[in-house]
Amino acid sequence: MDTRSIKSKPFTAWLCFFLAVNIIAVLLFTGFAAIVDSNGNPAALKTPFVEYKDSTAFKERTSNYFDRLLSLATDTSHHEFTEQFLKNEGENLRYYAANSDTGLVLTNIEHLSSSNSSPLTSPALNFEGYGVKPDAGVVLTSIEPSLVNSSPLTKPAYNLTGYADNLDTSPKVQNISDVDSSHLMLIPDLKEATMTSEGANSPDVNKTPDLPAVLPEGYSYYWYFDGHQIHVIYDGQPVDVERLDSGYQGLFPDLNRYTPDKLANTRVLLAVRDPLVPNPYGHSMYYWEQQFLSIIGWVYIALGVLGAALLVYVIIRRRDKREFDRKLASWSGQIWLEVKILLSLLALSFSAAFPFRYFIGHVGSFEWISGITLNICFILLGLWWFYLMFVDLTVNRRRFFTHNTINSWLNWYNRYESQYSWQKSMLKRAYMLVAAEAVLALISVIFVLVAIFVANGWAFLVALLIAGAGIYLIYRYLKSYDQTLSDLGRLTDHIELIKNGDMETRLELAADADMYPAAQNLNSIQEGMGIAVAEKTKSERMKINLITNVSHDLKTPLTSIISYVDLLAKEEELPEHVNDYIEILAQKSERLKNLIQDLFDLSKASSDNIALDMEQLDLGRLIKQTLADLEEPINASGLPFRLNIPDEPVYIVSDGKKLYRVWENLITNTLKYSLPGSRVFIDLIVDEQGALATIKNTANYEMNFSEDEILQRFVRGDESRTTEGSGLGLSIAQSFTQICGGQFSVNIDGDLFKVELRFNLV
Amino acid sequence: MEKQQILVVDDDREIVNAIAINLQNEGYEVLTAYDGLQALDLISTQTVHLIILDVMMPNLDGLSTTLKVREEKNIPIIILSAKSEDTDKILGLSMGADDYVTKPFNTMELMARVKSQLRRYLTLGDFNVQAKPNLLTSGGLCFDLENHTLTVDGELVRLTATETRIVELLMKSPGRIFPAEEIYERVWEEPAYRVENTVMVHIRRIREKIEINPKEPKYLKVVWGIGYKIDKI
Repeated sequence: MDTRSIKSKPFTAWLCFFLAVNIIAVLLFTGFAAIVDSNGNPAALKTPFVEYKDSTAFKERTSNYFDRLLSLATDTSHHEFTEQFLKNEGENLRYYAANSDTGLVLTNIEHLSSSNSSPLTSPALNFEGYGVKPDAGVVLTSIEPSLVNSSPLTKPAYNLTGYADNLDTSPKVQNISDVDSSHLMLIPDLKEATMTSEGANSPDVNKTPDLPAVLPEGYSYYWYFDGHQIHVIYDGQPVDVERLDSGYQGLFPDLNRYTPDKLANTRVLLAVRDPLVPNPYGHSMYYWEQQFLSIIGWVYIALGVLGAALLVYVIIRRRDKREFDRKLASWSGQIWLEVKILLSLLALSFSAAFPFRYFIGHVGSFEWISGITLNICFILLGLWWFYLMFVDLTVNRRRFFTHNTINSWLNWYNRYESQYSWQKSMLKRAYMLVAAEAVLALISVIFVLVAIFVANGWAFLVALLIAGAGIYLIYRYLKSYDQTLSDLGRLTDHIELIKNGDMETRLELAADADMYPAAQNLNSIQEGMGIAVAEKTKSERMKINLITNVSHDLKTPLTSIISYVDLLAKEEELPEHVNDYIEILAQKSERLKNLIQDLFDLSKASSDNIALDMEQLDLGRLIKQTLADLEEPINASGLPFRLNIPDEPVYIVSDGKKLYRVWENLITNTLKYSLPGSRVFIDLIVDEQGALATIKNTANYEMNFSEDEILQRFVRGDESRTTEGSGLGLSIAQSFTQICGGQFSVNIDGDLFKVELRFNLV
Repeated sequence: MEKQQILVVDDDREIVNAIAINLQNEGYEVLTAYDGLQALDLISTQTVHLIILDVMMPNLDGLSTTLKVREEKNIPIIILSAKSEDTDKILGLSMGADDYVTKPFNTMELMARVKSQLRRYLTLGDFNVQAKPNLLTSGGLCFDLENHTLTVDGELVRLTATETRIVELLMKSPGRIFPAEEIYERVWEEPAYRVENTVMVHIRRIREKIEINPKEPKYLKVVWGIGYKIDKI
């Protein structure tokens, strides 16, 4: 449960952030749009916070209905839904629209509509009866007094008439306030106006139409068009719509839309009920809007408070929010770049296309608010998309761009390729590149052709994009090829490095490099070799140190033994057999001495711990000197030596004393182990590789051992060898040759024993 | 002539004892010490004609003792050491030792070296050798140009005519390495052709006459692969 709450923390924070931004955006956009749309009419902004009847929205809606009635009456247009709209309002709306030319009468005032089938002849509204002339400058509509009187809704209505006339003639009256005080006084003006018009023949012309009389109770607010002008009457008082603070600025239907002829014969009355009631048979927009506006103001205020609170919370918990941002980025990071670009363009066009275009209704009206909210939703959709892209870009950085279709294809291809060996992969890659380029080129050409024949700029753009993709592919291929070559070079260098004995440096290649597995393998080989070499060196050194110390420590007791054996040998009057024993002791102690010395020399030579005195010398002369030095034992052995040594000097750089030791050992060896009567060959030749000295002899025993075995220290070629010498002669010769800069090799072929020494010439 | 006193110094008592017996058999007086400090005490209180000195000893090692002795006295010192490397020998000789014998040693050889050192020290003395202009010297070697005779540590060595001429040639240019061909041409006065063996045989014979241990020659040395030389010691 703990982990769940911790996990959900970032989400909660982010959700708060999301809501806060949305709320604030809605408020800001709505406010901004309201300011823009209100056209400098501050009253509009107050809409949600005033009495509905006083709000701009109400006036706008009334104007709208009025406009519709006007256009129906003048036959300017046919709004099929207008009647439905009007009907939906139910009791909230009473209207009467009539045209004396067409005889059209639209009304929902019961006694007006139900009276007579012909509106023209209708006693309810007899235009002609009032002598109205279409061409008269002043038009007066009046309702038959008799009829008015007969109306069940009869009420004293002189006020209306007075106003109608008053408004009608207002241009003539300089100051409305003047008239206002005594509206009854205007009746004569009206009369006068009527009389001045040519066709004024109605005797009842001074009778004022008693409009409230025809309206049921509760309709104290109404609009009235007298064929010339629109009057707004509220609570029996005419409203001065010219005043800036009246709230009617820019609300009135545009009368210029209608032909004046038609207008002149048109009368429209629209009354709104007070208070508004719900319509059980339809959907009253008035009522609905009133309800809506009564709460929307508070909703906005509540949203503002909530948004601010959420914002504060998010600022406190910004770390959690950021964590969820990263999670979002990890999700959106899986989307290809191309998809992101397309969606971004889509979002951009959405957000750019919608704002401030499809608003209907006036500022503050239900339609306007819902319209703007919908628009804001679209804007927010775009906004959140770009926020996601921003987070993606800041979190994923390079990956934002590199995770595209081309790279995904390449990755897919790399996975496919990895099942093949390296050399096959490289070949396949080249083939794949050619194939992919061919396909892209083909598609590109097709699009170019389409662009030319259909004259479509988009096709050309697509062709360009495909060509760009092709070039990018080639670039990637060349880059990887270049990388592979350089890696290959590094691999080769590294092999060289290992060959030269560097067991420390590791080859570091990028994990996705083609050469990576090879490099890893090489590294592990190097590591293994390093360990093996280190261990071997260590054990070798320990062995050598042991031998050095032991041989050194052996010498002291051996000195005593030899000394006392010597003293014993000098004793006279010893029995004969004791003298024999002493002789054996002397021999064996002498041999022990040689053995220890050889061991010591060998260990010194093997550990490269020996002082060398390198100088230029003649190898041929050295061999001859050695042979001369060993003349006596050679002669004693009776073995014929066959020499093939050039007279001209064979100069090499070496340590003469050590090399003498080598040849002394080799020659002594042949003397000991040659078949009697067989020849010993010593050759020295100079070839392009340097000086090659060989010594060959025929063994006096079967050499049932390998070349390597005979060079192993303490391994003896034959049991018979135990009689004398240390058995280390060859090993010493080999070690000394090597430290003197030569190569030593033994070759056994049947009974033929051959040792080769190779040196570089000076 | 009074008996010569020889000081034998080694931390191994058995070795000291064995050497002492041998020396006494040869007729010398023997003093013994088991470390460098004891040796120095004896040298300062007694007349010592020769010192046989081990290198690895407690308290004061042989090389340090040699240095101390050389500060005052010119007594011959033979170093006795288990270290057989050339570098060790060179180090010991450079410290002022007169000879260097490696353990395990051959008793006969050691006695010969003792005798040789004593003879040079007591009968000749280094200084009067240098005085004569017609003498070529190298250590104990002394070649008389007038009489064409060679003495080693004052003892006359019998050489053949060829051997004498070889020794004279080498001693006239001490340290110079002579190839076999040059030696042959200048000694035999004939063109040299494949003479390595001939020259080497003579060299070996000379060495057997003048060297205590011909295997490890002190004077006449073979420079392997190059030639032969007698160094100025």
